[in-house]
Order: sequence, then structure tokens, then C-alpha cells
Amino acid sequence: MLTYFRNIGQGILTIVNSMAVASRHLFKPSVTLQYPKEKWAMPERSRMRLHNKVEDCIGCGQCARTCPTDCILVKTEKRGKEEPPVFAADGTAKKLRTYVFDIDMALCCYCGLCTFACPTQCLVMTGDYEYSVYSIDEHIYHFAKEKPLIPAGSKEQSPSKG
Amino acid sequence: MEVNYSGDIMTLNMGPQHPSTHGVLRLELKTDGEIVADAIPHIGYLHRCFEKHVENVDYAGVVPFTDRMDYCAAMNMELGYVLAVEKLMGIEVNERTRYLRIIMAELGRIASHLIAAGTYGNDIGSFTPFLWCFRDREDILDFFEETCGARLLYNYNCIGGLTQDIKPGLEDKILKFLDRFEPEVDNLNRLLSDNFIFIKRTADVGILSPEKAISYGVTGPNLRGSGVRFDVRKDEPYLGYEEFDFDVQVGKGEHGRLGSCWDRYMVRIREVLESCKIVRQAIAKLSPGDVRENVPKRIKPPKGEVYMRTECPRGELGYYIVSDGSPKPYRLKVKSPCFTVMSAFRDMCKGTMIADVISILGSIDIVLGEIDR
Ligand code: SF4
Ligand code: SF4
Repeated sequence: MLTYFRNIGQGILTIVNSMAVASRHLFKPSVTLQYPKEKWAMPERSRMRLHNKVEDCIGCGQCARTCPTDCILVKTEKRGKEEPPVFAADGTAKKLRTYVFDIDMALCCYCGLCTFACPTQCLVMTGDYEYSVYSIDEHIYHFAKEKPLIPAGSKEQSPSKG
Repeated sequence: MEVNYSGDIMTLNMGPQHPSTHGVLRLELKTDGEIVADAIPHIGYLHRCFEKHVENVDYAGVVPFTDRMDYCAAMNMELGYVLAVEKLMGIEVNERTRYLRIIMAELGRIASHLIAAGTYGNDIGSFTPFLWCFRDREDILDFFEETCGARLLYNYNCIGGLTQDIKPGLEDKILKFLDRFEPEVDNLNRLLSDNFIFIKRTADVGILSPEKAISYGVTGPNLRGSGVRFDVRKDEPYLGYEEFDFDVQVGKGEHGRLGSCWDRYMVRIREVLESCKIVRQAIAKLSPGDVRENVPKRIKPPKGEVYMRTECPRGELGYYIVSDGSPKPYRLKVKSPCFTVMSAFRDMCKGTMIADVISILGSIDIVLGEIDR
């Protein structure tokens, strides 16, 4: 009988104790943000959607080879000798014409290994995280701008499934 | 415990969608009234073929997959893997890398133990600590996000170093966080650990005796909760943990018998403070350097095999790698700490009440992603 009341007493005591700790937080500002209305500032190293500044891409295919999920598809062809030379922003000659550069963001695991592998730093991960779409096909991003000149002689750079 | 069963056994399925199973775990409970006669865990709902899959991925590409095993402590998971490959290739990393790795691993341990304590309180029926723990964990995740860009699946360690250095000024932020956080642990104790109802629900429940814990191969906080002083960081130091001054916390059986759920829970809380100590020391030792200095151009380990064990928040995590000299692992086997403790779970549950199963399951702090892989 005595233990019964002692248990109740101890229970009430510890609850009052924890209530004292908890109630202090009633007067503290809230730490949560109401997401769609308020937004976090993303840190500059955020690893969200991939973006390729395709003007600087030399089509080396390093990114496609490093990617552990094979979600990058690069197809290139040699530029003709008589064509004017094209250079990336850092001065690397673009000997290859990248006519397919697709990234399947639905397959990507956001590891960022491709961005470390890229020699010209043209493939970057941006802080953009709001890009949901209605169909999964829309998650395949086509970055390439140039068209192939000689489609028959083209060489696929990576065996990626795209 | 000796229990006389009436013989009227009923089978009850707990999970796979039960909120307190911390993932997708099915427990087949054989109940006799309120008493659990047997609890058979059925695992495999989160099986992602990790070990087979990585045989087709090159060594550097495995790191993001190791993150996905234990998503609550991804930093520690990848650390174990990169250390194993470095051991295989004979790479020595420089001081700065070592200390940064330790800082990140210990912060990861704090974050993981905070989840463990918070969700445990939630399982038992106390919601406030859950929110507090997640609030403090959020700060740690912010540090990680600032450093490597991701909040949960970091891919921060790479073979031979780190993918990038920390941002200048992060050390001060971490120190400031620790100053604010350490008193919070006290608050958590007052709110949850010393709460009478919490103690009643957890103390003297789910006893795992030291002998049994050892014979089942249980490691980590669960083993230390049974009073066995074993910590890979102390007993087989890696990364230079021997230079650090910290205690291995063990359960003392303050409430009831040794090795109860409360002991296991309390070991985690005490370990959080030890980790804070290590982080402080590591920040003090941090010297300038290049974290990518020792990163090899081509990762092609020699023929051979290696076993590397590290202390991840849930226990001893081992990676066994067989290399045939190609750029992809020939075989990679993971020794998962949660899997071993799962085998002891059945023993702990026998003869307890149904409500205690939740207490026991929460106290062993499993992550199903790592059990199933
Ligand atoms: S982030 Fe990782 S998974 Fe995504 S495209 Fe780059 S390498 Fe592939
Ligand atoms: S690694 Fe960079 S330069 Fe090379 S193909 Fe990929 S994006 Fe282009």
C-alpha cells in the first residue's frame, strides 16, 4: 500500500519536474518554418538538381563513367578539321561535338561524384530542389544544344542507359 | 524467465508497417494472453541487394551506396568503407583529414543517438523529447549540409581523403553548438531519463545479461548497456582515436537489473556527451592541410582481402572486401551490428508483456536499412 502511494508521488514529482523543463519552451521562439510560405536559404554547396553549362562541356564523358547509377548519357562526334575551333570558358579546346547530353534525374542518387570528375567544372549541382513533375519522363533533362552533322559516323561515349 | 504458458497460443503479427519498428520489420509474436511466448523477427523488406550490386560499381562509386545502409548515421557508414579500402591499398591520410573525419563521425554519432533517444521516448509515449532531439539534430545536419551539400546521404568521405574541405568558420559554429547543446542533454535527462513512468516502462525490462550479450555477438551501446566495457575506438583504435581522451560508458544497472532497456538507453545519452568531448579535442588539434592530398588518381587495389572494423553508433561495423585487382570489388561483405542484436532480440522478448516488446525494440535501436542492406 505504501509503495503504491510512493509510486504515485514519485510519478507526479518527476512529471512536474519535466513539465517545468518543458514549459520554459512556451516562451521561446519557434524553430520551425512554414515551408511553402517561408523557405530556407540553401547553402552554396547544396547538392540538388544537376545543371550542365553545356557551352563549357568538352564531351569527355568522365561524368558518365564515374556515375554509379549510369544516369548520364553522353554522345559525341569529332568536329571536322575545317570547322572553326571552339573553346570552353577555361580555354580547353572542344574537339568533340556533344550532341546528346541527357541526365535522368529520376535515377540520379545525388552523390555528386560526376561533378568532382568533370575536368572543366561545367557540370554542377544547384540548390534548386523544387522540380517535381507529373510524368517521370520529364525528369530526363536534355542539355545538349548542338546537332550532329554526320549521324552515321557518331560514336557513343558511354554504354549508359540514359 | 520461467513462465508457465497456458498453451493457448495466439499468433500476432506486429509490423511490417508498425510505427515503432523503425523501418519495415515484421515480428511474429506468439502470445499467450498478454505474455509473449516467442517473437520471431522477419527481415528483408528493405533488401536492396547492396552487396551484390556493389560488385558492379567501382570502388569510389560504392561510397554513396554505403550511405544508404544506415541512413541515420551515413557518415559513420562511409567512414568504415573508405578505411577498409585505404587499408587494402595502404593509403595513409594526413592529419587534417583524420581529425575532420573524426569530427564528422562523432557528430554523426551524436545525431544518430539523438534519433535513438528521441524516437525511443516517442515509442514509450513521450512526444516532447522527440521534437527536442530532432531540433538539436537539425543543427548537426546543417553543419553537414554546409560542408558537403547533403543533409542525410553525405558522400563526404572518399578513398584517400575527403571530397572537400570544411568551410572556414565551421569549427566555431560547431563549438558554439556544443556549448548550447551540452546543457540540453541535462534537460533531456530531466524530461525523459529520470521520468518515473519512463523508468517503470524500461528498467528491468528486456534484460540482456553480459554473458548472453557476448555469446550473441552483440556490439556497441547494446553490449555496453550490459556492462561490458568494449568499444572498438578504445580496444582497436583506428584513425588515431588513441590520442583522444574519452571514457567508454557502460550500463550500471541503476534501476533494476543490469542490461535493461534503461541501461541501453542511458549508455547512448552518456555517449553523446563523450562524443562532444572528442569533437572538442579534435577541433583543438585541427591543423591546416590539404584533404585531397592522398586521394589516388586511379583506385585499383592490389589482389587481396581486408577486414576493417569501426565503431558506428549502433555497434561494430565491419567491411570485408575481397579484391581481385580489378577496379571493382570482387566481393564485399558487411558485418552489420543491428543484425547481430536482432538475433538476441528473440531471447530478450521471451516471457515479457506485449507492451514491453516495443520497449525492447526501441532500446536496441536498429535501423532496418542496415539489417537488410
Ligand atoms: S550525382 Fe551521382 S548519381 Fe547523379 S548523375 Fe552525378 S554521379 Fe550520377
Ligand atoms: S565530365 Fe564535364 S566536360 Fe566531360 S562530358 Fe561530363 S560534363 Fe562534359
